[in-house]
Amino acid sequence: MSEKKNVIVRIAGAAGDGIASTGELFGKTCSRMGLHVMAYNAYQSAIRGGHVWLQLNVGEEKTRCHGEQPDVALLLNKTSPEVHIPDMKSGGIVFYDISKIKEDLSVIRDDLQYYGLDFKELCDFPGVSPVMVNVLLAGALIQTVGLDTGVSLEFFKEKFTKKGDEIVEVNQKVFNAGVAWAKANAKSGLSLKGDGKKRMFMTGNDAIGMGLLAGGLKSYAAYPMSPATGILHYLSTQAKKAKIIVKQTEDELAAANFAIGAGHAGVRAATATSGGGYCLMVEAVGLAGMLEVPVVLINVQRGGPSTGLPTKQEQADIKLVMGGNGDFPRIVIAPKDVEDAFFQSARALNLAEKYQCPVIILSDLFLSEHYQTVDPFDFSKVTIERGKFMKELPAGAARYKRYEVTEDGISPRLMPGAAGHMYCSGSDEHDENGELISDVLAGLPRAIDVRMKMHPKRMRKEETMLKENDINLPEIVGPKDAKLTLLGWGSTFDYIEEACETLRADGLSVNHLHFTDLYPMDREKLVEVFNSCNEIVAVENNMSNQMSKLILAETGFELKRFINRFDGEPFTGEYIVNAVKKKELAHA
Amino acid sequence: MPSITENPVTIADYKGDVHPDWCPGCGDFGVLSVLQRALAEMGIPANEVMIVSGIGCSSNLPGFINTYGLHTLHGRSLPIAQGFKLANHAMNVIACGGDGDGYGIGVGHFIHAMRRNIDMTYVVMNNSIYGLTTGQTSPTSGLNMKTKSTPFGNPEMPLNPIALALSAGCSFVARGFSGNPKQLVEIYKAAVKHKGFAYIDTFSPCVTFNKVNTAQFYRDNTYEIEGENHDKTSKAAALERALETDRIGTGIFYVQERPQYEEFEKEVLEQPLVQHELGLSKDLQHKLIEQFV
Repeated sequence: MSEKKNVIVRIAGAAGDGIASTGELFGKTCSRMGLHVMAYNAYQSAIRGGHVWLQLNVGEEKTRCHGEQPDVALLLNKTSPEVHIPDMKSGGIVFYDISKIKEDLSVIRDDLQYYGLDFKELCDFPGVSPVMVNVLLAGALIQTVGLDTGVSLEFFKEKFTKKGDEIVEVNQKVFNAGVAWAKANAKSGLSLKGDGKKRMFMTGNDAIGMGLLAGGLKSYAAYPMSPATGILHYLSTQAKKAKIIVKQTEDELAAANFAIGAGHAGVRAATATSGGGYCLMVEAVGLAGMLEVPVVLINVQRGGPSTGLPTKQEQADIKLVMGGNGDFPRIVIAPKDVEDAFFQSARALNLAEKYQCPVIILSDLFLSEHYQTVDPFDFSKVTIERGKFMKELPAGAARYKRYEVTEDGISPRLMPGAAGHMYCSGSDEHDENGELISDVLAGLPRAIDVRMKMHPKRMRKEETMLKENDINLPEIVGPKDAKLTLLGWGSTFDYIEEACETLRADGLSVNHLHFTDLYPMDREKLVEVFNSCNEIVAVENNMSNQMSKLILAETGFELKRFINRFDGEPFTGEYIVNAVKKKELAHA
Repeated sequence: MPSITENPVTIADYKGDVHPDWCPGCGDFGVLSVLQRALAEMGIPANEVMIVSGIGCSSNLPGFINTYGLHTLHGRSLPIAQGFKLANHAMNVIACGGDGDGYGIGVGHFIHAMRRNIDMTYVVMNNSIYGLTTGQTSPTSGLNMKTKSTPFGNPEMPLNPIALALSAGCSFVARGFSGNPKQLVEIYKAAVKHKGFAYIDTFSPCVTFNKVNTAQFYRDNTYEIEGENHDKTSKAAALERALETDRIGTGIFYVQERPQYEEFEKEVLEQPLVQHELGLSKDLQHKLIEQFV
């Protein structure tokens, strides 16, 4: 087992047992040693008492997936054994809290190594509390996996310094008790060597928040909703430092409209929610389209419909974000991983200002909430381009028209406040000056003429986006002439990549076609891409193949073979591999 | 010659190019002209004013006044106005709309805007009817009032917006009547001057669809509260007047001096957000990264 390049660890217990903090300790120990981590958090909509677990796949090389069967598990409550022991890899190691788990675990499975730790006996010193049993087990875990326990001890110092030296010391003491116990009692032969490069250990929501900051965000409004709330939390803590306004509003209607107000004023503004909240924002998205206001809306998808599966994964909001009354230009981007989420968030702010329209980022629970290691972002790759935005008109300029009809559909945008050029923007159809044509003029020849100019002007922006190559074509990864192409979009990138690697190792000829820019679509170029592929199988984390249907509607190309998952979990490489093999057999 | 008269702001500066398409005799004409007068008399340059409205007859107002304007969605003027104000607090922001817009579809935003206390003004043109949709019951239509949607009489109690505002923590609560411009202009000036969220319920009779709450009705039933030595620093006194049933008070009901929202964002709002330079310093970039390492 010593040649193993990656180890899968699962930490399970009740909500409130310290699963997240144990995960952070373990994850940061790994990331600081230069190891790669990919984690997935399974939780329920309960603050205490629900059963939660965290799975971390730690590797000496980049881990693309949180993996299937754990090598090591840390079980903190009574429910844990029956849920997690059946999932373990044969020969795996289980650490557990004997005050909570009293049964003979070998009855469930006899091919694992079980180590029960007794907190009362091992941590019989002043200042301890039984809730620290997770720290004891973490010591045993980190020692057994072969990590540098000194890195963990350093972590306690940083984490608890503000709470006082005593808290630091007692945590370190409990941790060391776990380390010593494991040294004496548990033998695993596992050892992981990092490359010594320090990496960030963060979620997609953190990356989105940081990307927005890098891109010049100045105003953020949101109403709490899982799994988007992490962005609100992150930005709230950075608000004073980054000099931005972060406003928790009374609902999502207010959040989206608050952002539109800020965007109209001339600052970069964004909001985030999940599908149910986005439903409430739909009228505001259309408003931004009509007022031609730059705004970024982030929809962190979760299992739907309605309240659906609040803490589970799905990619099923394409139909939603393509919705709204009437036609208006928009851009939809689905980042492929945590690093991409950073850069796409900054890019979305540029695109919103350039095209003066809503830009929608489609993340999902998996991408937004899983922790992983990433190399520090290169901020120098982020540029800020404000498009046709002006704080003042040049001296001697002709009468300013806010909605001037232009060839590219984009009108020069003057920041409200400039003297002498007041204009009114309206959600009703309006002329180049912003004057409404919807009331007494409606239906009159002049109004029809205005409508026939203004509506195409706005919609022309989508053509301009394609013409100016601001919308990226899907990337093809792997051999161009592969017999089989797996088509994916958004957060499934790494899973599909892992599946492709496994399938190739098994002798299959396979590549990967991945969309991150979903809309608008360049019909001709895409059909060319599709025609260059042999057999395409769409991989969608939903039931009704929403991306495939958008492709059909926009390009006329019909996808006919699918791999779907809508049980509330993200794909794994293994899941896709099994599905492909089954389909290939059925197809043969 | 005093140099101060070099560029005086006049009411003409606020005259829009578009003639209002309200019905002849509509109370909204009175509101528009009083608002123009108040802003001109305060000497505020028109380009420093942003008027944000919702949807409805009265929400067409921004199109008829020569300031910056935003005509938005039904019920959503307040969140848009607040987002705008915090992005550029150098501007004077005024939200306006009707009673359906503010007390019906937008009432959630109304309540939270009041307790939030961002420095802006909110004028509700209250005619107790839905005008633009041709005459349905509104949140302030009287009990038993017959409208197109309540042909047998309105079965719901009308909302008392002044009492609501007082209980929601509004720091400036007033009521005026478009038919009493002398009082209204002073109320609007005090509202714009107020540091915090200033709200004015303004009776603005609908001549076409409301035959009950007419201009004559308001002339007969309103009285000026300042004429009765009203103590506008007392919430209890204000509430007592708001709950009167035999007559309707107009004037400034309540003023509370308390920090406006912007005070809590002092470091961020040293300069209006629109004047901030975009992009992060190298030092901050480094700090953002380090937090996750």
